[in-house]
Amino acid sequence: MKWVSVPRLLLSAAAGMSTHACVQPECASPDYGNPECRVLIENELARLLTGAGVEIRFQDPAAQGVGSWVAGGLVREVAPGEVALRVAGPGAFAVSLVPAGDAPSSLAVTLDNVDPAAVVTVGPAGDEVEVSSPGTTRRAFEVAFDDARTVWIRSSRPCPPRFRLAVTADIQTNPWQFERIVERLIVEAAQAEAEGEPLVGLIIAGDLSESSREDEFEALAPIFGRVPFPVALTPGNHDIYRPLHPAYNRNFGPGNYAFAVCDVHVAMLDSGSGTIARSVQARLPELLDRGGAGHLLAVMHHPPYPGITGSGWSREDMAAQALVEFAAADVDLVLAGHNHALHDFPDIDIGGRQLREIVVGTAGANQGVGVPRYGYLRLAFDGEAMTPCFVEVTPPGLDGPAGDPLRSLDYCAP
Amino acid sequence: MRTLAQFGVSIALPLVTLAFAVPVHARPGVPTPEDPTPGACGRNVAMCCAANPDATAGEPCVRPGPARALLLSLSAIAGAGAAGILFALGDRLANGDPATLLVGGGALAGAGAVVGILAGRLLGDGPALEDRVRRESVGLGLSGGGTRVLGESSPPLLSARFGPTWWFDQRSRVRLIGEISGLLGAERHVDPRPQLADAAAAGNGSQPSAFSRRRMGFALGLDLAVSLPYPVARRSARLGRAELRYRPEVQFRREWLGLGDSGMRIVEHTMVLPLLVGARWHVSPRQRFTFYVGPRFDIVSYSALDGRRLSRGKPIIAPLYGEAWYDIDVALTEHPRKAGGQRRAKTTGMLSLGYVHSRFGGRGFNFGPVIGFLGPIHAEWTVRVRPRGAKVAAQFGTGVVIGNGFAVNATVGAVLPDLRRRPR
Repeated sequence: MKWVSVPRLLLSAAAGMSTHACVQPECASPDYGNPECRVLIENELARLLTGAGVEIRFQDPAAQGVGSWVAGGLVREVAPGEVALRVAGPGAFAVSLVPAGDAPSSLAVTLDNVDPAAVVTVGPAGDEVEVSSPGTTRRAFEVAFDDARTVWIRSSRPCPPRFRLAVTADIQTNPWQFERIVERLIVEAAQAEAEGEPLVGLIIAGDLSESSREDEFEALAPIFGRVPFPVALTPGNHDIYRPLHPAYNRNFGPGNYAFAVCDVHVAMLDSGSGTIARSVQARLPELLDRGGAGHLLAVMHHPPYPGITGSGWSREDMAAQALVEFAAADVDLVLAGHNHALHDFPDIDIGGRQLREIVVGTAGANQGVGVPRYGYLRLAFDGEAMTPCFVEVTPPGLDGPAGDPLRSLDYCAP
Repeated sequence: MRTLAQFGVSIALPLVTLAFAVPVHARPGVPTPEDPTPGACGRNVAMCCAANPDATAGEPCVRPGPARALLLSLSAIAGAGAAGILFALGDRLANGDPATLLVGGGALAGAGAVVGILAGRLLGDGPALEDRVRRESVGLGLSGGGTRVLGESSPPLLSARFGPTWWFDQRSRVRLIGEISGLLGAERHVDPRPQLADAAAAGNGSQPSAFSRRRMGFALGLDLAVSLPYPVARRSARLGRAELRYRPEVQFRREWLGLGDSGMRIVEHTMVLPLLVGARWHVSPRQRFTFYVGPRFDIVSYSALDGRRLSRGKPIIAPLYGEAWYDIDVALTEHPRKAGGQRRAKTTGMLSLGYVHSRFGGRGFNFGPVIGFLGPIHAEWTVRVRPRGAKVAAQFGTGVVIGNGFAVNATVGAVLPDLRRRPR
């Protein structure tokens, strides 16, 4: 071998490592353990062409055109002429319905996960009519297509200056304990409403299931249906590890989305694979754009800052990059689960900016020996102030609290 | 967590069983020039290996069988015990990272001991190779996993490495270890959202480019090693020499991240390991188990979008850092040529298995729902070729890093004389 051929050989080897002849489009052969494939499917599931030819798309709440769509929920045709729409989270949303042609037709629509206090309107632009609220999170109505005009379903939620959000994570093997938490939330919602400080949403930061099985998700749906306000979800590692079926997305819709409710903007990130998709990382400035909201939350399953809990991202480089985006966007609170415990990291220095992260993996998953600490985090918003505190929901057979407040995080007053 | 515990138990139990399997007995013995590899050592018989048959001072006796059985047992206790503790205490154990480190390190030690048993039987346990593979003095490395996604690119990482050594005396030395690295181009990722697909695009697929990354970095450390007297105790079981190690180190990455239409952001991530301590156990003259563990501090700094000036962060406590390695020397030119002629070069190889308890480099080993707990697994094969009588040797290596997919790496380097040679 001549010496001159050695560098050529090395360059060829380097080129060979960076290019392949056997490439294919992202997720052409789906692997739903890959976060990019879940990005694709959560967007696919946010639109549907019904059997009768009606194109239904979740839209940005401010959208006027139907050229695109967003992963703002889940659309299913449950029977010919009947569609079920699950809105991803609290706050404003929009859905466009483009009929197949001029011929008059109709479609039965069920909207799930909508705040009972929300104002929902239906109809072509300029001819909207309000859909009355039955006092639950479900609205059922008929959409009539009198002509070829696009029908819009839009919703907004009027808010007082004081309101609350609840946050928890990690249900896994113990949905019965989660039901106890839901009952506590039902009681709190009524009390909070009476105090003029409504509870406007429950955020669950992943690990709804233990084994990513369809039946586990199906068992949870009626429990979520009992919650008297919208539930925003994102998957955890236990929800996505069966690569052949996107069971989480098929049941609950997207894991990567943002919503604004009252004065808070929330970015939900699917970190089930121990990292987020690169395409989602590229959208972080957009997802974290608080608009006019006074508060900004970032929610995901794996805590981007794990301390020495042992429960972090599988890609620490991307965790650091995500923390950078949170710091740059001036996120008020990072919320996570994964660790079946309650942790508060109040001062994480990222580029000189102090971030606060609370891990609240207390929705029912096994916490090992000893009396577990179950419950949820309550975030009380009042103008510019946001006050977090923990509501403990003890397991059956236990009177009184199982744990003590953390040094930097109090238990809520009874 | 339950799966992690089950994994620990399922790995640990077979290892313990294997540890107590009685090996085929070979002659315990002193290697000779005619028979330099006297086969595997008897489990309970000391093997007195001469490092150099011509040397007057022989190498101290080692019992590789019991040493490996002890390593196997310790790894099983550590790994399975830690997994059990994690499972039993659950996340009530707020500081669970040490246990996770023990699970990964214990599994590696056990796997190393098992491979060591096989290697000892097949290739022999001694004598120690006089010119065994160590870190090259200067070298280049290339690492990459490529991509199979249309429209994406994943260029390899090129690194320049160095590791000159200074011997203080026969027992202690310091090695300056360093690496400067950078991606050979920009890594690019597409946005798979179907509503963004551009059917008019041709050549690179219809999914638009969403994310790009360029990267450079360096690592710098001092690796100090001090051999303990051997045997440490008069009635020692002769389980092999040990060294204590201290390796303060810093690793730095600067990345230029193209975030879609939002702009470019510079992110710096620095990992500081000021108290990284470890030990090396020579379980046989040709096999070593090495581990390091220490606290880690991270510093994260960043720029505004499309900005150049960085907002500097302060050190924050990060997950524990740890490494565990099992090295096996393989003599490739031990026997003289059949014709009796001398070989033109002496060639030695080394097989290394490693577990690094850090996902700083972006790789972590996941299985099933166990995601985000463990670091990457390394497997490396390195060969040193030293022409007869030459002061400089060439060293070539290849390996794989398993975690979030895998990366194949290759190294080539030169082994120069030590800055200060080891006194005889």
